[in-house]
Amino acid sequence: MKKQLYSAEHAKFLKKRKKNLALIWSLRIGLLVLLLGLWELVTALGWVDPFLMSSPSRIAKTIGALYLDGTLFYHIGVTLGETLLGFAVAVGLGCLIALALWWSDTLRRVLEPYIVVLNALPKIALGPLIIVWCGTGSKAIIFMTVLVGIIVAILHMLSAFIETDKNKILLLRSMGASKFQILRKLVIPSSLAAFISMLKVAVGMAWIGSIMGEYIVSRAGLGYLIVYGGQVFKLDLVMSATVILCFLAAGMYFLVVLLEKFLVKNTDN
Amino acid sequence: MKKEILRFDDVALTYHTVRGEVTAAEHLTFSVDEGEFVAIIGPSGCGKTTLLSLAAGLLSPSEGKVISRGTFGYMLQKDELFPWRTIEKNICLPLEIKHQNTLGNRARVLALADKYGLCGFLQNYPHELSGGMRQRAALIRTLASEPDILLLDEPFSALDYQTRLNVTGDVAEIIRREGKTTLLITHDISEAISLADRILVLTKRPARVAYTHELDFGEEKNPLKRREASGFSGWFEVLWRELNT
Repeated sequence: MKKQLYSAEHAKFLKKRKKNLALIWSLRIGLLVLLLGLWELVTALGWVDPFLMSSPSRIAKTIGALYLDGTLFYHIGVTLGETLLGFAVAVGLGCLIALALWWSDTLRRVLEPYIVVLNALPKIALGPLIIVWCGTGSKAIIFMTVLVGIIVAILHMLSAFIETDKNKILLLRSMGASKFQILRKLVIPSSLAAFISMLKVAVGMAWIGSIMGEYIVSRAGLGYLIVYGGQVFKLDLVMSATVILCFLAAGMYFLVVLLEKFLVKNTDN
Repeated sequence: MKKEILRFDDVALTYHTVRGEVTAAEHLTFSVDEGEFVAIIGPSGCGKTTLLSLAAGLLSPSEGKVISRGTFGYMLQKDELFPWRTIEKNICLPLEIKHQNTLGNRARVLALADKYGLCGFLQNYPHELSGGMRQRAALIRTLASEPDILLLDEPFSALDYQTRLNVTGDVAEIIRREGKTTLLITHDISEAISLADRILVLTKRPARVAYTHELDFGEEKNPLKRREASGFSGWFEVLWRELNT
C-alpha cells in the first residue's frame, strides 16, 4: 500500500465508514448476546421447559462435561476427519472428472443424463446400499460425504471449464497451442474463481454428507451424539453437538475464504 | 519484383450445422505480397473473420487452396490479455506455447516492449493499463513469435474514438517499422483507407472479392495525415458506394 495524503473530506469519509463498520459489528454481537440472554432467561424463569429447550448454561455445562471425560475432542476428531477426507476426495475427484468431461465432448454428452439424475437423487436414499457395501464404520460415512459433494463439484467445475472465453481459445490456437496447453495455460487458471466458489459450496455439502452418514451408521462423532441424544431425550447433548458443529462449519468456511484471499490477491480483475 | 506470401485460389467454404449449411465464401481469389498492408472490408456478416481463420490454417477450405509461405500472428478485436498474468508474461505467452522460451527470445521480446513504450508496465497486470496500452501490449504479444504475416481482426473496434485514432497511429507505425506483411479485416471504411496499401471489397455472403483498389497516397503511411489528405474523401465515397451495392 502506498502512503497517501488525503483531503480532510476523504479522512471524514474514511472515519464515517469505520464508524459504520463498528456499528454493524456491535449489532451483530449484540443480537447474539440478546438471543442467548433471552433463551437463558425464559428457561431460568421456567416459562419454557429447559428439558425440551435446553439453555446456554446447560449447553456450556454439557460441553464442559464432555471435555472432562475426555470424549469431546474424540467426537470432534472423528467427525472432522470424516468430513475433511470426504471433502478432499469429492473436490479432487470431482475436478479430475470435470477435466475429463471437458476434454472429451463425446464422454460429456454420453454421461450428461446420468450426472443430472445423480444430482437430483437424494443421496440419503442410498443409505441402505452404502451400509451393505461399506459396512457400518467410517468408510460408509466418508463414502456418503463424497457422494453428496462430488456431483456438485463436477457440475460446478465443468460449467466453468466450458465457459472459457472462446476468443482466448482462438488466440491460443492461432499460436499453435495443443489442447493440453490450452488446458494448462488458459482453462485451469481462468477457472480459479469458480474453483473457490465451488469450495465454498462443497464445504457445506461435506458437512451435510458426514452428519447424514453418521445418522445412518456411526458409533462416534457429532452426528452420533445428536442422534443418541435425541433417542435418550438428552436434548442438552443434541444442542451442544449442534453448537460445536456450527463453529466447525464456520471455521472451515473461513479457511476457504483465507485461501481465496491468498490465491486471488494478484488477479483482482 | 515483389514476392507473394499468401494466396487464396478459388476458395470456397461451407459450414454445416444441424439447421442446414451455409456457404460463407465462394470463388474467393486474391494474393498478398511480402511487406504489403492489405485491408479487407465487406458488409457485416459476410464472413470476414472466417477468411482470417482460413488464412491462419485454423479452418481448411471446402474447395480450392490456401497457399502461404510463412507463419502467422493473430490479433483480435479485444486485447484478450490474460488477467492473471503480468504484461511481461502475457507478451511472452507465444514463446511458451511454441517452446521457444529461451533467454535470447525473451530478451528480444522485452526489447520490443521497451522500444514501443511498455517497459514501465511489464510487472503490471492488464487491468491496471489503459485500453490503448493494452492493445499495444496485444500487438507486442502478436509480434513476439516473429510472425511473417499479421492477421488483424478489427483490432481497434472495441476502443473509444479518440483512443482508437491514437492506437491506430501507434500500431501502424510499429507494423511499418517492423516491416510486417499485414492482412486487416475491418468494417470501418476510413480505417481501411488510412492504413492500407491495397483494399479488397468483399460481396455479401457467400463472400467473393468484388473490387480491388491500390491506394495512391504515395509514401504517406501516417494514418492521421492520410485522413487529412485530399484523396481521402474521394476514396471514402467510392468504397461506400461499392459496399452498398
